[in-house]
Amino acid sequence: METSFAITGKGYVIVAADTTSARSIIKMKSDEDKIKTLSPHLLMAYSGEPGDTVQFAEYVERNIRLYHIRNLYALRPSASAAWIRRALATSLRSRKPYSVNLLVGGYDTSEHTPHLYWIDYLGTMSEVPFGAHGYGAYFALSLLDRYHDPEAPLEEGLATLRRCIDEVSKRLVVTPGKYKVKIVDKDGVREVEL
Amino acid sequence: MSIMDQNGGSVIAMVGKDCVAIASDLRLGNQALGVSSNFQKIFPVTDRIYLGLPGLATDVTTLKERFRFRVNMYTIKEEREIEPETFAHLVSSTLYEHRFGPYFCEPVMAGLSKTPSGGYKPFIAATDLIGCLNFAKDFVVAGTASEKLFGVAEGLWEPDLEPEDLFETISQTLMNAVDRDAYSGWGCVVHVLTKDKVITRTLKGRMD
Amino acid sequence: MASADGGAYSYSLTVFSPSGKLVQIEHALAAVAGGTTSLGIKASNGIVIATEKKSSSILIDDSMIDKVAVVCPNIGIVYSGMGPDFRVLIAKARKSAQAYWKMYGEYPPTRVLTQEIATVMQQATQSGGVRPYGVSLLVAGWDITRGPTLYQVDPSGSFWAWKASAIGKNMINAKTFLEKRYNDDISLEDAIHTALLTLKEGFEGQMTEKTIEIGVITVPTTAELEEGKIGGETGRPKPTFRKLTEEEVRDYLAL
Repeated sequence: METSFAITGKGYVIVAADTTSARSIIKMKSDEDKIKTLSPHLLMAYSGEPGDTVQFAEYVERNIRLYHIRNLYALRPSASAAWIRRALATSLRSRKPYSVNLLVGGYDTSEHTPHLYWIDYLGTMSEVPFGAHGYGAYFALSLLDRYHDPEAPLEEGLATLRRCIDEVSKRLVVTPGKYKVKIVDKDGVREVEL
Repeated sequence: MSIMDQNGGSVIAMVGKDCVAIASDLRLGNQALGVSSNFQKIFPVTDRIYLGLPGLATDVTTLKERFRFRVNMYTIKEEREIEPETFAHLVSSTLYEHRFGPYFCEPVMAGLSKTPSGGYKPFIAATDLIGCLNFAKDFVVAGTASEKLFGVAEGLWEPDLEPEDLFETISQTLMNAVDRDAYSGWGCVVHVLTKDKVITRTLKGRMD
Repeated sequence: MASADGGAYSYSLTVFSPSGKLVQIEHALAAVAGGTTSLGIKASNGIVIATEKKSSSILIDDSMIDKVAVVCPNIGIVYSGMGPDFRVLIAKARKSAQAYWKMYGEYPPTRVLTQEIATVMQQATQSGGVRPYGVSLLVAGWDITRGPTLYQVDPSGSFWAWKASAIGKNMINAKTFLEKRYNDDISLEDAIHTALLTLKEGFEGQMTEKTIEIGVITVPTTAELEEGKIGGETGRPKPTFRKLTEEEVRDYLAL
């Protein structure tokens, strides 16, 4: 089943999401990128109802981009997250709400701090040191309670993420195969192979 | 499973002698799964009014923003700070505007209101999710641990507590009540409002 | 262009004349200047607003004419100019005061209500298909933050706070009279007499309780406020504004 994780560390956020695209019990695709780069220092992992996810992610992407074009600087992570939350909260009380869960990770270039926001389809938002969505969350969160260190260097952060992925692979019945992992820090966004 | 219990969380407010206190837990959950242990549900409205919003977390944030907007507009238009009684009515009317599609929050307010002679009078109030006001003289509770909070508060509260004693009473009430509630806990925050300062303390409880 | 009738610019409400004037607003002011005199005086412990009530025929039942209107328990308004326009504005003001009460559980401060009325009047100077209101208002009110306050609102939508002011036919003379008579620590009783004296200047016909209307703001004492804002069993706040009865007006005129 769909799973996404994100963890903060010293000056960075790592965001990981599985790459399966499934329709009921069928795997349609196994190299889907479910992490969007919203702006030079902002990542968003999305999961949920197929169709809604891409639609909503693109809507967010275009609007964050529009802000960047209009103002010549990018919207900061905290403001971006607040805007995205608002979009979901408004959608929740509409005729057909978006059913999308998000992890928004970014690096604030003005404050020089990493930020991670856990957002669900209801518009619930919380800034967290680490977060996860999907069935994997039940395993990953307790593991991260034990091993997460907000001051950990990147290598250690990646190692912790590896532990999460391994634990989910080991214990979850319907386990996703591959993960895409992206990092955002002072140098911007990049993808890494685990 | 009620939608009011989706995220968990509880708030309590108490009256003391020339002071009031308001406290909440810090848990944000997704049903039984804990997501955050630092989710604030009490917000300052003015220097002398604090508002607690237990309930569905998305509405906690939306209502916090809505009240910030309305209070800012009030302050600019009227060139004065809003009084607790007036704010309580504002909360009530805002919630009742959504009578047939409500926000799933039960606000709790604590404040000190100015008297005509220049003193300050403790004020607490709570409403249900459609804005029915409850002005209490002793304490008000709301959230997933409200039944437990009622019980403990009934036993511990007494009239005319000084700020430090009130802090102890409200802290003990909240901590012991949330320990018996699976959806509340993960630490607490307590604010005690007196005429010249606000004391804010964060407490650790059973962090499980 | 600048002819007496206003020239080519006098008809369209929303088009400026080359000299920067909106001629329709000037005409509205002229309508006010043709109306009966009204005045307001702020005293140390209250406010008085008063007006001359004139009827075109002795056959009219003048006890039914209301020129001083109660908007809410703490605010009253008097006008000069066109009666029907005033009636419409009062209806809007009362509705606005009740809407405020529904939202905040108390009646609006004088300034907030005045601003609300002024906004309505301003909108009539910038919308299509309407004309400006042909009235000037004197708004007297009391609230906890600013105490007793007296405002004047003009057809343009501008408003000012006054210690004493007059509007209508005799405003120039009345204002000069008030400037001579006014001092900061005048009592409400004295202010009512000054108001009557001012109206007397240039009053046409007999001044009686039938031809004069008076409204007063009485400032509540701290003890009264401390008692609580709910008055009696009605649950309504104790009024700080009230109209004087014909008997009371007669007594003041007799002195």
